[in-house]
Amino acid sequence: MPRKAPLDFQLNTNLDGNKTTSSKIFIDPVLFLSLITILIFGLFVLYSASGQSISMVSRQASYIVFGLILMMFISRLDQALYKSFLVHLFWLGLILLLWVLIFPAKGYSTDRWIDLGFISFQPSETIRLFLPLAVAAYLTRKQTRPYLKDWALVILAILISSFLVYKQPDLGTALIVFISGFIPVFLSGFPLSILLISLVLISAVSPFLWNSLSPYMQGRFLTLINPNTDPLGAGWNIAQSKTAIGSGGLLGKGYLSGTQSQLDFIPESHSDFILSVIGEELGFIGICGLLLLYGIILYRVFSIAFSADTEFSRLSLTSIGFIFLIYILVNVSMVVGVLPVVGLPLPLISQGGTSIIMHLMAFGFVLSMKKRQTW
Amino acid sequence: MSEISNFERENKAFKLLKRRSNFLFFMISLVGLAVLFQVIKLTIIDANIYTTKAEENRIIRVPIYPSRGLIKFSDNELLVENVVSQALLIIPAKTLEIERTLEELKIILDIKEEAIEDIKQRLDSKNLTYESLVIVENLTQEQLSKYIVERSKWPSTSVKAQLMRFNIYGHLFSHVIGYMGPVSNEEMQDSNNFKYPLRYRIGKTGVEKFYEEEMRGSIGYKTIEVDVHGNELRELDRVFPERAKDIYISLDKDLQLLARKELDGRKGAIVALDPNTGLIKALVSSPDYNPNILNKTELGNVNEILNEERGPLFNRAISGNYPPASTIKPFIGLLGLKEKVINWDSTIEDEGFFQIAPEGRKYRGWKEDGHGMVDLNKSIIESSDVFFYKLATQLTIDSISNFLALFGFGSKTGIDLYAETEGTLPNRKWKIGKIGESWFIGDTINLAIGQGYLSCSPLQLVVALSVLATRGKAYKPRVIEKIDNNFTKTQLLYEVELTNENDWQRLEDSLSSVVSAWNGTAFNLTEFGRVKIAGKTGTAQIKSLIDEELTAKEEYEGIRLEEINRDHALFVGYGPIPNPLLSVVVIVENGESGSAIAAPIAQRLIDFYVESKI
Repeated sequence: MPRKAPLDFQLNTNLDGNKTTSSKIFIDPVLFLSLITILIFGLFVLYSASGQSISMVSRQASYIVFGLILMMFISRLDQALYKSFLVHLFWLGLILLLWVLIFPAKGYSTDRWIDLGFISFQPSETIRLFLPLAVAAYLTRKQTRPYLKDWALVILAILISSFLVYKQPDLGTALIVFISGFIPVFLSGFPLSILLISLVLISAVSPFLWNSLSPYMQGRFLTLINPNTDPLGAGWNIAQSKTAIGSGGLLGKGYLSGTQSQLDFIPESHSDFILSVIGEELGFIGICGLLLLYGIILYRVFSIAFSADTEFSRLSLTSIGFIFLIYILVNVSMVVGVLPVVGLPLPLISQGGTSIIMHLMAFGFVLSMKKRQTW
Repeated sequence: MSEISNFERENKAFKLLKRRSNFLFFMISLVGLAVLFQVIKLTIIDANIYTTKAEENRIIRVPIYPSRGLIKFSDNELLVENVVSQALLIIPAKTLEIERTLEELKIILDIKEEAIEDIKQRLDSKNLTYESLVIVENLTQEQLSKYIVERSKWPSTSVKAQLMRFNIYGHLFSHVIGYMGPVSNEEMQDSNNFKYPLRYRIGKTGVEKFYEEEMRGSIGYKTIEVDVHGNELRELDRVFPERAKDIYISLDKDLQLLARKELDGRKGAIVALDPNTGLIKALVSSPDYNPNILNKTELGNVNEILNEERGPLFNRAISGNYPPASTIKPFIGLLGLKEKVINWDSTIEDEGFFQIAPEGRKYRGWKEDGHGMVDLNKSIIESSDVFFYKLATQLTIDSISNFLALFGFGSKTGIDLYAETEGTLPNRKWKIGKIGESWFIGDTINLAIGQGYLSCSPLQLVVALSVLATRGKAYKPRVIEKIDNNFTKTQLLYEVELTNENDWQRLEDSLSSVVSAWNGTAFNLTEFGRVKIAGKTGTAQIKSLIDEELTAKEEYEGIRLEEINRDHALFVGYGPIPNPLLSVVVIVENGESGSAIAAPIAQRLIDFYVESKI
């Protein structure tokens, strides 16, 4: 066997001597491979869910490639470089949110999209990533515990962002944006007393809030409580997806053999309700396998977070981890009928470019903040 | 701030972060457990339920309806056919802009205002949003092509081809054929072996209703796999529907045509049947209607038919109650012979009126001066009332009632049409129950000339007459001769035996003389009649002679000025003599004279029928 040069030598020789930034994505092979596995799995599921549409799958694949490139790019960045820049990204996200409200894109029923001609994307998805990072950056900018004033300012920013998303109107994403923004606030030690008082206040005014919801949103909540009230509306979605998952049983009906999904019974089967396709075709085992992959990814994110060397990276990475977890949980809960239908995609699986790119960018940040190891 | 304190603060913040993270993990785990439990419940515990549900979703059974049986003449000529019509439907739940849709349809397809209003009312009245409602039952070719061009504008609408009924002869057989209408809830529940879909049109009257079961056939099914939009993906199985049966009416088209022409739109009824079989040869009730308008295969005003005062939907021939008037006399005469209270030689003096006791109430005959000396023969020929008044006093209401019942008075004939009346055959019990009074001798006297409480349908009368024509036998009347290749059975309905069978012949001689004798009430028929017939005229009084001090003539002048108060003209007859082929009843409401108005119609019908058979 010919002698080979040591691995680090091979890697370092063609990188102009910059040892520290050497292909950070390979630093955490477990996370990276899990991501690749889940993305490929997602493409297969999408092929089935889309009624075996090659065009939808290839479009999704191109988003994935674009997302992976962004991820690699971000993973090479130094957190010190972008930490202060994140707040400006938040402003950009806010402007985009206003943009969709003022200049709604044609051809879409809701004002959620910005059409750049070659690509259209959802600013609500971008704010969902930039808001918590900006919040984490802002709260850890000084080497002191955040003052009440800081928190107030941050919460105002969160409320404005989620209100703009709510106006689109997209209640589900608005809630997710709010939670995404609030998680770093909570984790950085937001006073529990104020939190409790706010919760009490909110529950006191909730009847009025309820009345301010549009009938469409009220309907979605009511449907969850009793799906039979609207068997052909939102309740139909839940009933059909439950039927699909339930009929899959333990082992599923086999890839591409789900009658519910292949016969177009599941609404949004390629996006929000894609889990029901997995459930029907791959069964309980398939769902567990997917959840296991998510678990590995989350485990890696949280261990990177807790071993990170700066306060900012610990806070932002923990937030990214929780947001990812909440995304999964909300989507799965919705599809199996535990939470209302809120229109949230299943991370890394559901069809949708902006969502997948934003998630991959988040993992780029995770990788970039991994504590430098000496090797 | 020193390095150390900052390190401590960062350490504290890290501990806080971990603590709060653990708290979040805990909260999220609770939801996660609930989700996990739900997944296990769906996929493992309840998997069977959902598997079944998924199958139900996918595989559905779609009924296939056979096309309705045709109605034909006995010579195989088509009478009622199925035509394809394109119905315009709307599913209100599929649109938020129902007002706009309806408005555009109205303008572009030129739909009548009433149809749109009707839909709007139905939308308001019930929660029908998921049902498809019919806007127009049959689109014209022009409307259809306009619709197809612009259909994308109205996603909630659709056009559905359906088979509808078309009566080739329109009005002519309306009271026999009947019309079709959407199935009602009760009708849906009543049909045990045929599940009617909503809006399915079924027979509402006539043979369309009576032979509904034969003509609708049985439902077939195809089992298909569908997608969520109900689009058929592939057929898995098919059970063909049983072919519906065609029915053949016994009516003679030309006779029916003549009968309708003879009535000439006047209110009344004609029934002609073959006394030897009970097969109806003509059945006209006037006014009539065009069933195609109700069947929605011809344009026309439905309300005009349903609400019109003259009642074109009312089948006078089988549902109308008329006093039989003098046409009852032969039957009463037979009873007198049977009870032996008279014989053919018994005579009385007819002075124009009858009194039970001297100074008692005067029962007047129709002829003011009377008929002189009359026997049974003469009193039938000249229609003497007084003879029968006298005869009535010698009989009892019970015996009259029982005897008339033998000829079918007071009970339905059982013809294969719905809504038949049983008429009224009064007796003591009936009067106490219905009127609340006991039976008077005067009631019997009135009854003996076919007035008073006695009433019957034209059909009952012609069936009773057939007993005379066949000398003792009446067959169940029917309008359907054949169902597919199976002939309907001739059923004996009534059988009357006389103590002296010779009386049949003598009665027929008398009835023939009504037409042929110079003094017969229908002697006018000899002027044109070509076939020898036997018959009896009748003039049914609507207003009874209230004041016996007035003469019949005076009274007549007083109250008969208005047409609706005028007498009904009746004639029953059969021919040819001997070996009758046809019994006919003609009733012309407010026609005044049985002999002048009703009898000639009967003669012409029998002439025509007999000559067409030779």
